[in-house]
Order: sequence, then structure tokens, then C-alpha cells
Amino acid sequence: MNIWSVLGDIFTFPLLLATLRLSTPIALIALGETYSERSGIINVGVEGTALLGALVSSLVAFFTGNPWLALIASIVAGGLAGWLHALWCIRFRANHVVSGIAINILVGGLALFITSAVWGWRGTSPSSTPLNNWVIVGAMFVLVLLSQIFIFHTRWGLRLRVVGEKPEAADTAGINVHRTRYVYTIVNGMLCGLAGAFFFNNVTRFTSGMVGGRGFIGIAAMVVGNYSPIGGLGAAILFGFIDALQMRLQTYIPSQFSIMLPYLITVLVLAFLIKRAQVPAALGKHYVKQ
Amino acid sequence: MRTFVKSSTFLRETGITVLSIILAFGIGCIILWAAGYSIPAVFANLWKGAFGNKIAIGNTLTKATPIILTSLSFLIAFRCGLFNIGAEGQMYIGAIVTAVVGTHLRLPSVLHAIIALIAGGLAGALWGWIPGFLKAKRGVNEFVSTMMLSYVAIGLTDYLVAPRGPLHDVEAYANQTIAVAATARFARILKPTQLSWAIVVAGIAVLLVWYFLFRTPSGYELRIVGQSPTAAEYGGVRIKRKLILALSLAGLLAGLAGAGEILGTHFRFVDGFSPGYGWDGIAGGLIARAHPVGTIFSALLIGALRAGALQVQRSHAAPGDIATVLQALVIFFIIAPTLVRMLIRWRRRSTQ
Repeated sequence: MNIWSVLGDIFTFPLLLATLRLSTPIALIALGETYSERSGIINVGVEGTALLGALVSSLVAFFTGNPWLALIASIVAGGLAGWLHALWCIRFRANHVVSGIAINILVGGLALFITSAVWGWRGTSPSSTPLNNWVIVGAMFVLVLLSQIFIFHTRWGLRLRVVGEKPEAADTAGINVHRTRYVYTIVNGMLCGLAGAFFFNNVTRFTSGMVGGRGFIGIAAMVVGNYSPIGGLGAAILFGFIDALQMRLQTYIPSQFSIMLPYLITVLVLAFLIKRAQVPAALGKHYVKQ
Repeated sequence: MRTFVKSSTFLRETGITVLSIILAFGIGCIILWAAGYSIPAVFANLWKGAFGNKIAIGNTLTKATPIILTSLSFLIAFRCGLFNIGAEGQMYIGAIVTAVVGTHLRLPSVLHAIIALIAGGLAGALWGWIPGFLKAKRGVNEFVSTMMLSYVAIGLTDYLVAPRGPLHDVEAYANQTIAVAATARFARILKPTQLSWAIVVAGIAVLLVWYFLFRTPSGYELRIVGQSPTAAEYGGVRIKRKLILALSLAGLLAGLAGAGEILGTHFRFVDGFSPGYGWDGIAGGLIARAHPVGTIFSALLIGALRAGALQVQRSHAAPGDIATVLQALVIFFIIAPTLVRMLIRWRRRSTQ
């Protein structure tokens, strides 16, 4: 086997397209996490939230046959999961990470329970009419660009950042800290729901393992991107590329190795590629009004 | 109620835990009702599968065994302010190394089992050391890295036992190793169930973790790092070492869980041997409120849910996955004591 012909087979235009597509859910999750962590709320429930989005997509698409309605329902469901997380972190002062874990476990269980109850297949849905996924890819690019401007060049973005850095100062300046955190954690959930809709449309059916750690990779992308939307997108494209690449490598190396590649690369990138990220100062801390 | 709350922390914590479980089951009932299942049938089968007879109890205890260890794994990292959500992968690594030692070495019985167990624990510890090292030296978020390494571990072990893999049992279609030598097997305690001496190993681990955390200087320092890194720094604790130690110990405990499954339950490494005991450890550690002794009860609860879920599934009363949903709901209430207290107060006000 000539190495150049192998490389020629792997690095093709379809690989570029696959990279763009597979980067999309990771970039959306990274963007959502950027919003909530900038406001001070860690949400590791993004994995489960995306799975919930995919599940709701499959349900709505199955019962209405309308992929657009499914898309909207996913976003709403994601927003609800974000609200639940915010409620637990802010109102009930739960540990952020633990609340996120609870969301992941809950959705994981619900996904199996609901698919069994509705279709009688544990963990899968029948396939239904998908949406053209390039719609979500396009939306992702627009959202990332607008968010970059929003977070760093508008008054609202400044307020968001202050809440995550110095909630006391924000409070003194008349910004409602809790409400800000609710809003952006819900925004995070909605973006994850959208990512979930992408996962569903990508294979036109729901499977319980379809997110497969990409939520956590999204968090990693946000860290590598240093809490900025554009940076997160850059990292997401890198991870999306690895994801696209591993599918092609399956012809040449044992599939177990290609499947673990994105996870291994994520750890390596976190370990060797980044300087210490600028973590928002009040991240993960409960704010009690004095 | 007020005197109850004031009487002691232990009672209060236990009270909140029990209430959380009741509330979670209440919401579980609503979900079952909404999905159109018979609530009495589900709970009757859940009970029957978990505690209905000798075999059911044996199944519950068998499932609780690895969950005790993975709960300890989560908890020991948690006490140091870290999240080990990679117990599943650490378990797989421990299990495969145990299987290699169990199949390839020739040793007298008991000794063989002990060596295989220790080898599995150490392999898990190594897999836990990696994210610990990366956290201490490079500031890598252990939450992401333990999770990612979990996927790597599962893929790696699957490769080793798959056809064409070096450890594959050529006489089997399944991805598995050959059976471990009789000398390396744990004796079964409650035949015909798979309950084995592994549960004694888990029990000893509970005591050792308790002793380590609450009776040794190193364990004390580990907890201080978790409670207040600033205080730890002023107190001269070498924080980075503690981070590495905590995740290595977490890996060790998860590795032991995997080893116990190989030596006591399956007698060989089978790909997918764990139905998610590593993830159960997260719930187990939290429901135990991060107390080692509590893991015995939380693991029993989750083990019972798992054993009961199989019966629920078999009886077609409802999908067995309702058990996972219940588990998650319990966590939601456990981690929000403010909510449970609010509900208690609200109930008191409405009854007055």
C-alpha cells in the first residue's frame, strides 16, 4: 500500500465537508458552555441536554412528521433542562458539577425508558424525515459570530462577564446576578438542544449512544478556545476534523483505535496545547446577596 | 421536626437522604403513571427481583459489590475536591489486567486470587494516576480527562479481546478472554447466585477508606484540600501530590471493582461485562453523602434497583430503565437539601 495513495484516499473534499458537519454540535455545545460559564455556572449536563434534544427531535418528528417542529421542540427541551440546572445551582445551591451529572444520568435513563415505552426498542427510534443538516451548520456559524460580538462588544455582554467575574460588583451596579445566570444557563441548554437536533438529523433516527461524549468534548473545546465563541469554534473544528478522520481511518486500523482517537486527542490537546485558561473568577460559586 | 433537625448532624443527614429517596420514588410513580404503566405491578416486581427470595437477595448483593467499590472511588476523589467520572474505564483496565494474571500465571490458589486482585487494583490506579498527573502538572480538567480516558480504556480492552486481538479466546465468538484458572477464582458464597468473596473485599475496602480518610494524616490533608485549598496551602499541604494521590486511589478502588467482577462473577474478561457500575459509583458516592460507610447502603439501594429492574423488565410491568431514572431523581433531591428542607417546612405550615 503506497502511503501517498492512502493519504490521498483519506484527505479528500468529502473529509472537509464531514469536518464542517461534525464540528457543528461540538461548536454549539462549546458556545453554550461559554455563555453559562461566563456567567458563573458550570454545566456538565450538556452531554445529557444534547441527548435530550435528540430524543425530543425523534419523538416530535415521529408524531408530527414535521422536522422543523422537531427542531424547535429540541431547543425548547434543551432550554428546560438548562432551567432545571439553573434552578438547582442557584435556588437550591447544589454543586454545579453534581447537578450536571444528575442531568446526564436522568436523560440517559429516560432515553432508554421512553424509547422502550413508545417504540418497544430499547434505546432506538424508527427513522423519520430529517431536516437538511446544513441549516444547523449555517446557523452555528452565524450564532458563533454574533455571540463573539455580543459577549465582547455590547453592554449586555459586559454585564454577562461581570456577573461571572465579580458578582458583588455586578449587584452593586444594579445587575440582577441570579436572573443573568438563569438566562444564560437556559441559553446554554437551548444551544445544546440544537446540537441534539443535529445529532438526530445526522442519522435520521435516535440512538441512546449518539452523543457519545461529544458534550464533554464540547466543554473541552470551550476550555481550549479560552471562553470565547470564536476560539471555541476553532477548537471544535479541530475535534470535528479528528472525528471525521477517524471514520475514514477505520479502513486502515482496527475500529476500536479509530473510535478512541477523538477522546485521546482531546486529552492530549488539553494537556499540551493550551496555556492555563482564563477561568471566570466566580465560576461554580454560589452568590448570596448581602 | 425541629428537634429532629437539631438533634444531630448524622440524624439530619440520614433523614434528608431517606426523604430524598421517598420523593424520588414519588416522582418515579408519576412518570410510570403518565406512561400508562401499573405502579403496583412495577413496585411488586421491583421488590420481588431485589429481595423476593434467597436468589433475589444474592443478585442484589452481587450487583452491590462492584458498586460499593466504584462509589468509594468517586467519593475519595470527591473528598479531595475532584470529580472522578472515569471509574468505568478504570474498572475495565483493572479487569483486563486481572484476567491476564488470572489466565497466564500458575500459582497456588488463594495466593493467585490475591495477586490477580492486587494487579487489577494497581492497573486501575495507574489509569487514575494519568488524569491526576495531568491535573497537577498541566491543570487539565479531571472531569473531562477521566471521562475521555474511560472511552479510551473501553476501546483498548475491546481491541485486546476482539478477534485478531492478542487476548481473544479463539474458541469463542464473543469478545472475551479464556477463563481464569481455578486457583484464581473467588469462592461463591450463596449458590446458585454469583455472590462471591468479592463482597468481603468491598467490605474491607470500606473500612480501609474510612480509616484512611478519618484516621490518618494523609487522609486528613486530602480532605482539607477538598474543603479549602487555601487553608491547605497555608497549612503546608503539598496540594498537587494530594490531587495525584486522590485520583490514583480512586483508580485503585475502581480497578478492584473490575478485578472482583472477573474473579468472582464472570471468571473471564468479557467485553461489556459492566452494565455501568462505574457510573453507578457516582450516584452511590453522592447518595452516601461521600461517607465511606454510607456506600454500603447506597450500593445496596442501587444494586437492589438493578436486580429489581431486571425482574420489572422480565415481567413486562414497565421498561427496567425506570430504575436509572429513579437513581437520577434520588441524586437530584440528595444534592438539594435546601429543597427538601423547604418541602418539609411547607408541609408543616400547611398542616398547622
